Amino acid sequence: MTLEDHPIAGPAPSAPPGDITRPPFAHASEAEMARILDFYAVRWEYEPHVFPILWNLQGSVVESFSPDFYLPDLDVYLEMTTLKQRLVRKKNRKLRRLKELYPSIRIKLFYARDFRALMLKYGKLALVESLSGSLGQVMPERPEEILVVAEEPVAAGSAPDAASPPPPVSTTARASGSRRARRAEARPTR
Amino acid sequence: MKATVDLVEDIGEVLVTENQIQARVAELGAQISADYAGRKLTLVSVLKGSLPFMADLMRVITVPVRIDLMEVSSYGGATTESSGLVRILKDLSASIEGEDVLICEDIIDTGLTLNYLIRYLGGKKPASLRICTLLDKPARRLVEINVDYTGFTIPDQFVVGYGLDYNEHYRNLRFVGVLRPEVYSSAG
Repeated sequence: MTLEDHPIAGPAPSAPPGDITRPPFAHASEAEMARILDFYAVRWEYEPHVFPILWNLQGSVVESFSPDFYLPDLDVYLEMTTLKQRLVRKKNRKLRRLKELYPSIRIKLFYARDFRALMLKYGKLALVESLSGSLGQVMPERPEEILVVAEEPVAAGSAPDAASPPPPVSTTARASGSRRARRAEARPTR
Repeated sequence: MKATVDLVEDIGEVLVTENQIQARVAELGAQISADYAGRKLTLVSVLKGSLPFMADLMRVITVPVRIDLMEVSSYGGATTESSGLVRILKDLSASIEGEDVLICEDIIDTGLTLNYLIRYLGGKKPASLRICTLLDKPARRLVEINVDYTGFTIPDQFVVGYGLDYNEHYRNLRFVGVLRPEVYSSAG
C-alpha cells in the first residue's frame, strides 16, 4: 500500500487567494455548500456544464440539465435539491435521463434531508429553514448565459431520440475572451 | 436543544454495543498487525472523536506503534467565520516522512475532513498512508475515499458515543447510539 492507493483530491491544501469572486448562486443552500467546499479546500465550479437531455425531431435541444457544482479534482458533479420532496420528482426524472445519456459522469444528488444532516453535523441546524426550499431562493438577476461547446466532452451513451447526443456545453457569463479564458473566468479563484 | 443532557434518555437506540465494539476492534487490530508485520506503524488520531477508538486499537496491535494526534477545525465551529478555512488546531508532534501511517477516524461521512487530512499528511511524504475508521456512513459521502479498515458500516442516522459527540456531550458513552431527534430538532 502506498500513497498512490488513495487518489488525493488535488495537491496539498493551501489557503486560497483573499479575493474570491463568487458566482451568483441561484439558491442560498448552494452558497452554503460553496462555503463548505471552500472551507475544506475542495475546488469547485458552479454550473460549468450544460448537458442536453432531450431533443425535438429537428434535432434541436429542448431540455437540458446543468448540475450545480463540478468538483474538478474529484471529477464529480453535485446537484443540490433542497426543495420539498414532492417537488423533486421532475429533477429526479432529469437526473435519470442524464445518467442514461451520459453514463460515465459521476453525479451526487443532495436532497433536503442530506442538507439538513449536513447542517446538523456542523451545528447550523437553525439555519436550515432559511437556506432550504422556497425561502432559500435568492433569484438574483443573472447575466444572460451563452453556450460554449466543452473542450473535453463527456463520453455520451446512446440516446433514444438521437444517434448520439452532442457533447455537453459549458456555460459562461461572458462572451469575450478565449474559450480557455472564459472557462477560467467561470471558475472561482481559490 | 434540550437544556439538560441525559446520557440514557437521550439515546433512542443502541446501534453498536460495547461488546461489539471491542470484538471488532480486536479483529481490526489483528488484521492491522498482520498487514504491518515486520514494520513500524504510526497511528494518527484525529481529535477529539477518535481518541477512544485509537486508545483501544493501539493496545490490540502487536507491531511497534508510535502515536500522534491531530486536530482540525470543523466547519461551523468557532474559527469558521474568522478565516473561512479549515485550520490545523494541533499538528503532528513528529515527522512522518518515510513512516507507515495509519489515520484513525471515529466516523467518515462526507469525507471532507479526511480528504483534507489525506492531502495534508500526504504532503509530509510518509512511506504509506492508510485509513482506519470505526464507523462508515457511506450514504453521506461527498468525497469518495478508499477506506482500508472499517469497523462498522452504519445507516444514515445521527450517532453519538464512544468518542462521538453532539455539542461536546455523549463522548463518554461506551457504545454507539442514535441520538433522539428531539434532542437536536429544536436546536438553535
